Amino acid sequence: MLQLIRHGLNGKRPFPRMWREHELKDRYEVVIIGGGVHGLAAAYYLARDHGITDVAVLEKNYIGSGGSGRNTTIIRSNYLTPEGVLFYDESVKLYETLALELNFNLLFSQRGHLTLAHNDSSVRTMRWRAEVNQLQGVDSRLIWPDEIARLCPQLDLSDHPRYPILAALYHPPGGVIRHDAVVWGYARGADLRGVHIHQKTEVTGIDVTNSRVTGVRTTRGTIKTGVVLNATAGWATLISDMAGVRLPITTHPLQACVSESLKPFLNVIIVSGSLHVYVSQSDRGELVMGASVDPYTSYSLDSTLGFLEGLSGHLLELMPSLARVKILRQWAGLCDMTPDYSPIMGFTPVEGFLVDVGWGTYGFKAGPVSGKRMAELIATDRTPDLLAPFRLSRFEEGRLVGEKGAASVGH
Amino acid sequence: MSVKITGNNRRLPTARSQTINRGKSIQFTFNGKTYTAYEGDTIASALAASGVTTFSRSFKYHRRRGLLCAAGNCPNCLVHAGDEPNVRSCVTPVSEGLKVRSQNAWPSLERDVMSLTQLVDRFLPAGFYYKAFMRPRALWPYYEEILRHAAGLGEVVPATKPGEFDKVYKHADVAVVGGGPAGLRAALAAANQGANVMLLDSEPALGGHLRYATHDIGGQPAYQYAAALAAEVAAHPRIDVMTNTTAFGCYKDLWLGAVSGDRLIKLRARALVVAAGAYEIPPVFENNDLPGVMLGSAAQRLVNLWGVRPGTTAVVVSANARGLHLARELEQAGITIAAVAELRDQPEAGLITAINAPALTGAAIVRANGSRHVESIVVRAGGQERKIACDLLALSTGYLPANELMLQAGGKVAWDEALHEFLPSSVPPGIFVAGEAAGAHTLADIEREGELAGIEAALKARYGDADAQARRDTLAAQTADARSRRVAWSAAEADNAAGKRDFACYCEDVTRKDIQQSIDEGYSSIELLKRYSTVSMGPCQGKMCNTALVQLCAAHTGQTVRDTGTTTARPPVRPVTMGALGGRLMEPVRLSPMHEWHVARGAKMMNAGLWKRPEHYGDPVAEVRAVREGVALIDISTLGKIHLHGPDVPVLLERLYTNRWRKLDVGRVRYGIMVNNEGVVMDDGVTAHLSDNFYYMTATSGGAAAVYEWIESWLQTGWLLNVHALDATELRAAMNLTGPFARQVLAKVTDGVDLSNEAFPYMHAREATVAGAPALLLRVGFTGELGYEIHVPAGYGLCVWEALMDAGREFGILPFGVEAQRVLRLEKGHIIVGQDTDGLTNPLEAGLDGLVKLDKDDFIGKTSLVLAGERAVEKRLVGFTMPDGTLPEEGNQIVRPGKGPLGLEIIGRITSTRYSPTLKQVIGLCWLPAALAEPGHDFTVRVRGELKTGRVAALPFYDPDETCLRA
Amino acid sequence: MLLLTCPNCGERNVAEFRFGGEAVKRPAPEDVNRATWADYLYLRRNTNGMQREWWYHTPCGCWFVAERHTRTQDVSHTAFWSPEG
Repeated sequence: MLQLIRHGLNGKRPFPRMWREHELKDRYEVVIIGGGVHGLAAAYYLARDHGITDVAVLEKNYIGSGGSGRNTTIIRSNYLTPEGVLFYDESVKLYETLALELNFNLLFSQRGHLTLAHNDSSVRTMRWRAEVNQLQGVDSRLIWPDEIARLCPQLDLSDHPRYPILAALYHPPGGVIRHDAVVWGYARGADLRGVHIHQKTEVTGIDVTNSRVTGVRTTRGTIKTGVVLNATAGWATLISDMAGVRLPITTHPLQACVSESLKPFLNVIIVSGSLHVYVSQSDRGELVMGASVDPYTSYSLDSTLGFLEGLSGHLLELMPSLARVKILRQWAGLCDMTPDYSPIMGFTPVEGFLVDVGWGTYGFKAGPVSGKRMAELIATDRTPDLLAPFRLSRFEEGRLVGEKGAASVGH
Repeated sequence: MSVKITGNNRRLPTARSQTINRGKSIQFTFNGKTYTAYEGDTIASALAASGVTTFSRSFKYHRRRGLLCAAGNCPNCLVHAGDEPNVRSCVTPVSEGLKVRSQNAWPSLERDVMSLTQLVDRFLPAGFYYKAFMRPRALWPYYEEILRHAAGLGEVVPATKPGEFDKVYKHADVAVVGGGPAGLRAALAAANQGANVMLLDSEPALGGHLRYATHDIGGQPAYQYAAALAAEVAAHPRIDVMTNTTAFGCYKDLWLGAVSGDRLIKLRARALVVAAGAYEIPPVFENNDLPGVMLGSAAQRLVNLWGVRPGTTAVVVSANARGLHLARELEQAGITIAAVAELRDQPEAGLITAINAPALTGAAIVRANGSRHVESIVVRAGGQERKIACDLLALSTGYLPANELMLQAGGKVAWDEALHEFLPSSVPPGIFVAGEAAGAHTLADIEREGELAGIEAALKARYGDADAQARRDTLAAQTADARSRRVAWSAAEADNAAGKRDFACYCEDVTRKDIQQSIDEGYSSIELLKRYSTVSMGPCQGKMCNTALVQLCAAHTGQTVRDTGTTTARPPVRPVTMGALGGRLMEPVRLSPMHEWHVARGAKMMNAGLWKRPEHYGDPVAEVRAVREGVALIDISTLGKIHLHGPDVPVLLERLYTNRWRKLDVGRVRYGIMVNNEGVVMDDGVTAHLSDNFYYMTATSGGAAAVYEWIESWLQTGWLLNVHALDATELRAAMNLTGPFARQVLAKVTDGVDLSNEAFPYMHAREATVAGAPALLLRVGFTGELGYEIHVPAGYGLCVWEALMDAGREFGILPFGVEAQRVLRLEKGHIIVGQDTDGLTNPLEAGLDGLVKLDKDDFIGKTSLVLAGERAVEKRLVGFTMPDGTLPEEGNQIVRPGKGPLGLEIIGRITSTRYSPTLKQVIGLCWLPAALAEPGHDFTVRVRGELKTGRVAALPFYDPDETCLRA
Repeated sequence: MLLLTCPNCGERNVAEFRFGGEAVKRPAPEDVNRATWADYLYLRRNTNGMQREWWYHTPCGCWFVAERHTRTQDVSHTAFWSPEG
């Protein structure tokens, strides 16, 4: 705030730069591929918590140009499995204090998150989630139409709709945030501590000798390094293939859209798994809306008309009064889907090649905790307990994580 | 001297293009005041005719905004009309009684308190909110509410009526978007080659920019020339004209989305001509947003379409011939031209001399002055600045070619350094860009390019002959030649120093200084700049600002404009209502043939996937008792029913199910479970061997479609079995007659089969006639009592059902629903796939290990189960009771002391539970660690926050010897 | 909207189809161990380029193979499955 006032009183005094540009060095202790929230957070925590500052973050486009800038920014921890709840809860807690820590207002808006249940089987699943959440100390409970009506009067709670609303899982700490600001805040925090952020720097190869990482080749030159973190989304398998590490991932587009700006009227986040929609209203007044991933694998960022039709039709089922609200813009991002709807974090068969990938549709909300814990893993060379369930070897071991049921529309 | 706005009636004596009908008046209100319009007016044209100059308040500083584009592109005229927020009043027809109000202004449009923010604008630079409101953290929610209420434009009306939205599909050989001279020529050329053409234009009539121009074309005014061309197009038998139709999206394989009022049009074309013209755009200078500052085309539209005088004294700023034509037209309409500020050094002399006003050549705009409205303009020419009084500043200085559809389809544009426009540099196959969208501005060029694109599109759609190709080659050569000699119609953005209130982005109130400051902070790439400063993220989506933004960014970073590039074009081209996009919900409801009967008997219906099913008929406990003690009937038509024909069916079944199927005699029924490749339980059901080479499979209601698809996938993609599968789910009605008296009831209406226990035992199937219907009888026992599933052709369903109910009357028969069935099956310990199992459950843990034959040759999922079997089972699905009678809830967690925040660790969960009226106790199924899964073992379950004790019980709870079942 | 050619019915909107994933060959049970089976279950090429994949045409019940480019979405070829591949 003081900075604003000083700037206002003395217009010639410029704001400091958020991050600097650097020559690409030929050697870094750690190279992080992917300048999204995961990669930048990992770089930030490496520098802040472990004093590892000889770090390069490589971003092929501009920072936040991938999933970090394309998601619908919902942050929550009301997952189904105990391991999932613990993990995302740490992320929510980190997010709560992140603005102060980074001295950058991330506009984190903990407005409450409602997952609607339209049939008895989803009521059952919501109760299951609420019970698991409560036992892990997360504020989450099943609520009924009278309370739903108070929280969101726009919802049609009559029995007229094709899929009437029977109950909802209410998660008061759930919220939305300004996604780009998170990226920029982490980038500045990392930059201040000496991390090199290289934008417009695309990785073209990863050098592996005797099953050990030795370097990274880029469009701007080759880097020697012993530690490479693949923190990409959409291109995670292509990057890992460069190191000879195959990942159980398929890439699907996920689409989203915003409406024109409206005066505030929607005070909670609404999710309907059966109708495959979720909606919140941003501080700018736009409705931010999304659905489930596209049904076929693709690297295309093209939007579809079918998405707008399906989303609008389903949302109007929930809130008929939105019929005259207009869609302003639609876009797509890429999601790396794993067989158990859970991420893959940690070591791989190639020594020094680490992954923080497979984030499906839930990567943004996990940025702080994955960054923090992956930094710990890099610094200590051992897997933190919180990450152990998400190890790559679980697939061969037949020990998948059980989020599949709840995460099919996991926002 | 400054000109004051006087008078209310700004209607000119004649409206040349006859868009309005002065014979018909319409009354409507704006902010509570009644206004009169003519038929054919838009909301904005009628308000402008009545002297309204302030239409809205801007997003951030709440500055007055007046008409800028009058063409539906900019944010300035957004109002709330009827039920609809954010209405572009300049292109929305006015209607009788319409209630219109301004948005985002309090307490009124004229006196808006929030406009005081301008006074502190130096404390509110781009992205100010990222730098403030953080401390103390507890106050942020309050700050946020203030920010939220300051943001936002229109309001959602809670009682919005649903509206009559609908959708249509269209097909065309060639779709032409844009009904200006390029589009008209393209449509004619393509249609003349034999192609069926669909021409879409967002305006109410064809003609494009000529429709509101009066300059001479071959001896007639431009609008008459356009009307004649449009008439030729409209009369062509192969051209379908759709006006008032905005093509908003071009998706994969030329799938176009367009909207016309409340109707969504989905159009598949073989070729697309983009002839959408160009958006006229404003330059960036101080106070460029004052009411009275408008685009030249806006002034022209007001005068020529609606007969509205946009001002009394005008300065025209021009960088092209169209600006000079405009000055002449305004003059002819009786508007005084104070000056023409011509940015070019050497404009067309003939056009300049035709204007009776001083012309300043080589001019530059310095600023506009005024508080509520423009009062004067300062221009620099010949080295000196001049202040010229005016109440209209018409800007004809640049264009953004309208290439969004081409870009959405994967095309690219690049900055043309000579023409100062973004022009197509890579056009996707099947798309042809013509006219102003391609950078042509003279009519001859526009029409030639239109014809060329029309022929190309027809050829692409496989019309046209050698003559057409020759004509195409000629036109292509002429076009290439013309393009090499084109001169700029758009002025480059002047590299001025940052001034005050020189808006690059009207939607978001972003100034030149904001852009420079953002770049200095590090947001130097165009996409980061957009996201941080929010330029181009508002209602116009960059139409007005993008060209300036890129040039300002390039100037400040020192890059070329070409290297700076532009932001990604995203659909829709113009905002589209969710009502039009959503239409009416077309998801089907599936109803059993007996549905009406259930409804008439007061059944409480529930959703089960797409189906409606009776949950109960009022008293589920009585329904359970009827099954256990008398007889009852349930509608199970929702079951999946698959006919399997062919000699290889046993092999198929052997591979689909985990148990053995090779030896199933005719007349026998067997239960089986299917697992997927991962060994996870996916469905269960019974299959009957009915005759040689014919089997009848049932699947769960929810799994029916997936099971059929699954079978087809194996049959069609590798197994090469001689089997034909048919999904008969909807061909047959099915019901389960069950209870101790089921046999007596069935016998009353059944012919052709001996129902005695010896002749027709448990797990057998028979074909018979039931109530006159050809029926398939399966003696199975989901409820645990004697029972017969009766499958009949769907058309017989209701009559068989009624016959059974009649026959059962003497035994006190009741219909029963899903709820009673859940209790009954639970008493028998039967699982429900998807409720008692989840996405990772294998049958070995689910108590189904007896049905898994790992010594079979092969079956789907065998390898996964073999691997799973190498490890001891860690958890099990078991039965339980509650010794203290507490009824837990499905989803409750089984816990033990541990390290969680409540001192508890989760070790299992309840999946099914009910009070059993038969056993007079609470029963259920739950998951427990294998070590705790022995009957008699007690566990702790958290029920509504309290810890309760449950006890593992042996399954089934009811009739473990199966005496009832096999009676 | 993507157009796909069902070998039975011809060109149709993708909304009529269901994606069946990248075409992989099921190994015979006697040939597998834990690692190769996990590969079969979970590993896909996930290529950024031409991909051979399964599709199901819901109205006619036909499973078929398509060659589709995963970035441009262009479908070069569709056909019934044949043992020769």
